[in-house]
Amino acid sequence: MSTRILRLANPKTRRETGLDYVIGAMNLQTPFGTKQIKEQKPFFPGQEEALEEELDRIERMVETAAANKSDIGVLQETFMMMKDNTFTIERTEHSVLSVVEIFELKNLMLLMEKVRTLSTKIDLPAEYVPDTVNELLDILDPSGDRLNTFYIYDSFSEKLAELRREKRNMEREIRSRQKALRNEIKEKHGLSLTPKFDITVSKSDSAGIKMIEEIADLSKSDEDYMSVTYTLVPDDEVRQLMLKLDDLTADIEEEELVVRERLSKEIHKHSALLLENCDRIGRLDIILAKALYAAAHSCVKPEIVKEHIVEFEDGRHLQVEEIIKKKGGEYCPVSISLADGVTCITGANMGGKTVSLKLVGMVAILAQYGYFVPCSRAKVGLSNFMQILIGDSQSIERGLSSFGSEMEELKEIIDNSKDRSLLLIDEIASGTNPVEGLALTKSIVDYLKHQTIISLITTHFETVTEDKDVVNMQVTGLANVDFEKLNREIRYANRRERINIIQKYMDYRLQRVDNATQIPKDALNIAKMLGIDNSIIEKAKQYIV
Amino acid sequence: MYLLEELSREYKRISIVGMAKNAGKTTALNYLIEEAMDEDLLLGITSTGRDGEGTDVVTGTDKPRVFLDTGTIVSVPTQLYELADAGLEIIRMTQYGSSLGPILLCRVVDSGYVQIAGPVINAQHIEMCEEMLRLGADLVLIDGAIDRKSIAAPETSDAIILSTGAVLSRKMSKVVEETAHTVGLYRLPCLEDGRERNLLTETNGEQIMLIKEDELVVLDRSTGLGAGKYLDAEIDETVTHVFVPGAFTHSVIADINPKKLKHITFVLKDPTKIFIGATMWNQLRKKGLTVKVLENIPVAAVTVNPTSPSGYMFDHEELVNAMQKAIPDIPVIDVRM
Repeated sequence: MSTRILRLANPKTRRETGLDYVIGAMNLQTPFGTKQIKEQKPFFPGQEEALEEELDRIERMVETAAANKSDIGVLQETFMMMKDNTFTIERTEHSVLSVVEIFELKNLMLLMEKVRTLSTKIDLPAEYVPDTVNELLDILDPSGDRLNTFYIYDSFSEKLAELRREKRNMEREIRSRQKALRNEIKEKHGLSLTPKFDITVSKSDSAGIKMIEEIADLSKSDEDYMSVTYTLVPDDEVRQLMLKLDDLTADIEEEELVVRERLSKEIHKHSALLLENCDRIGRLDIILAKALYAAAHSCVKPEIVKEHIVEFEDGRHLQVEEIIKKKGGEYCPVSISLADGVTCITGANMGGKTVSLKLVGMVAILAQYGYFVPCSRAKVGLSNFMQILIGDSQSIERGLSSFGSEMEELKEIIDNSKDRSLLLIDEIASGTNPVEGLALTKSIVDYLKHQTIISLITTHFETVTEDKDVVNMQVTGLANVDFEKLNREIRYANRRERINIIQKYMDYRLQRVDNATQIPKDALNIAKMLGIDNSIIEKAKQYIV
Repeated sequence: MYLLEELSREYKRISIVGMAKNAGKTTALNYLIEEAMDEDLLLGITSTGRDGEGTDVVTGTDKPRVFLDTGTIVSVPTQLYELADAGLEIIRMTQYGSSLGPILLCRVVDSGYVQIAGPVINAQHIEMCEEMLRLGADLVLIDGAIDRKSIAAPETSDAIILSTGAVLSRKMSKVVEETAHTVGLYRLPCLEDGRERNLLTETNGEQIMLIKEDELVVLDRSTGLGAGKYLDAEIDETVTHVFVPGAFTHSVIADINPKKLKHITFVLKDPTKIFIGATMWNQLRKKGLTVKVLENIPVAAVTVNPTSPSGYMFDHEELVNAMQKAIPDIPVIDVRM
């Protein structure tokens, strides 16, 4: 038996529909959330209930976030301070952690406690609330002051405290013993040693050098051609102490290692708890980001249905909307209703056919990945497979002609499409001669129209829509526009303004056209508006007749 | 003499800047730290040290190793933390990166040797100093980059301690002369507040700029190097100020007509842009060269190291006396005493 790897959509489809854009625009704060979102899986037909649960969770989170703005702010700040220390946690199984690593884990635990307090306060569902790590914190923070500092404190081990005390005493003893020697030398010989217990004498001072040479407690430690430096020789007592000090330092290091070993083992005992907490925080981060994104971009909960349909009202392609808003424009929302069979989008150039096509993909794929959708209302039945066929710059970079790459992708679609697929096809075969192009488009429509596949095709070939089995959605376009007014406005506009003016007058909404009315011929109008020489436009009109 | 206590009343952040490599900056730093112990002053210790190579871990040469007393606040890169001989309580792991891992902010719990390093980016550096002061440091000592005077940018510290020594020259008089010259440069007058200053600082250009009859003229030159002849052509009797953004070398002014030189004021960003030796500088001053800076930084003290690593040394007292005579109003400290 072969295992079937379920893939809803290929990377290009995820990119072109805008799923990647939305995920990228989500404001994830924790390394755990960032990691988890890369592994997120879509919901497939049969998993409707699980998907609805996820959507319900987002809905509740939207409400919670709205009601607890300041606490959510603090929660996000806490999230931001978190680092991915999961590897350190896992490492405790075989290794002893360094002081810095223990410090980092202690910090993470303090942050977990903070998240726990906050999420309990705002009454988040238990699945997102980290369990308490106080038991382990007590071990790492024996003084209990819960400061986010760390050191192998004396309180970790009585032995360590004792050794360190001994070391300090010994250092003091050495120092005072040496000071005494220094005083002795001063009294006896009138020489002042530096605080480092040395003295530098110029070579020209031969009497001084002679005198110092005779003092047994001083020995030559450095010499250059102008001077000699003498250092206090430790007497037997000091030497003994120094030797002991070395031993003590080694003992202290050993005891510190013992403490670190103990702490690492304790951490390891709690590692399952810590990792589970990281996981919960990651999930909380994602659900919160989904909710905040939905609220900020007026997205709604899609209704998930059993039948295979995609229906929505006032849909907005988020990525395009962002661009339009930046330019100060207003997005014209689009509504559509799709079911198995072929639907064509026809209509004016610059009428947003491609954007509408992508919008359908965005709504469907977002819903299926468990996100709210940018519409006022949406109904989605889950698909087994989604793919968009659209020209992009990448095929050119790969050195393929547009027709070549189109056919390559068409083959992929036909090979992979199965029951309950969603296919989005943008102006197929427009890059070849119209005779064969039309024939090919028609035969593709014939192939698709009786399958349990939702196919949405944008096209300029109007005869395709004459087929009674094909639903024709037409862009309203410039049909209802007062051309005189438009022309007046456009006459004095510069090049960039012209495009904006046309976009302003353009009605992007889709209308279902049942009888085979003519596709509006707006291409020449638009070409003219964009400043193509009038003689060319007139000649073109003659050719049509 | 409570040198540091006195300094800490006036300044909060002092950079230790070496006149040259091996001028004894680390020795000076160690001396000042000992001095702070005697004066019972709580120090913050950090460094603007350039981001060292990985080999530093082995040799430890570039990252100064200093003996720190209990309570001192210090910045240590993560990878050097375990190598510290002192007991260090970690206060915070900062976002500031270094080639040896993120910088840790620590408090010394058990005195001992520590290798220090600090953030490389100015803004981060300022933040770190502020945090050290908040944590209770009376004074922050900053170990400047090894041999580049220019690192002690005015925005990162309130004053500098200039560290000089025998390494500069085998002639003591030369050591004194060059040090006094550098101190002199740090005392160049700042361009007064007023129209000229506003014109120059508002533009904040990377180009040479002239002030001509109270108006700003931006020239299409970013460096003064080799621009002498070009500059000479641009300067007429109506030009009052010349702003040079980059290095100010002899070649910038060599080709300017001496007559013109007398009428103009050169304006530089700060004194570290000057690359003209003491002798040449004095000659130019006699010819009427006037230089002002946009920013300057006080020299709080000068430390001298009478020994050179290449083996020679000066008489301690003689050097200190000569130096003190050359810069009478700045404390001169012999770090080897």
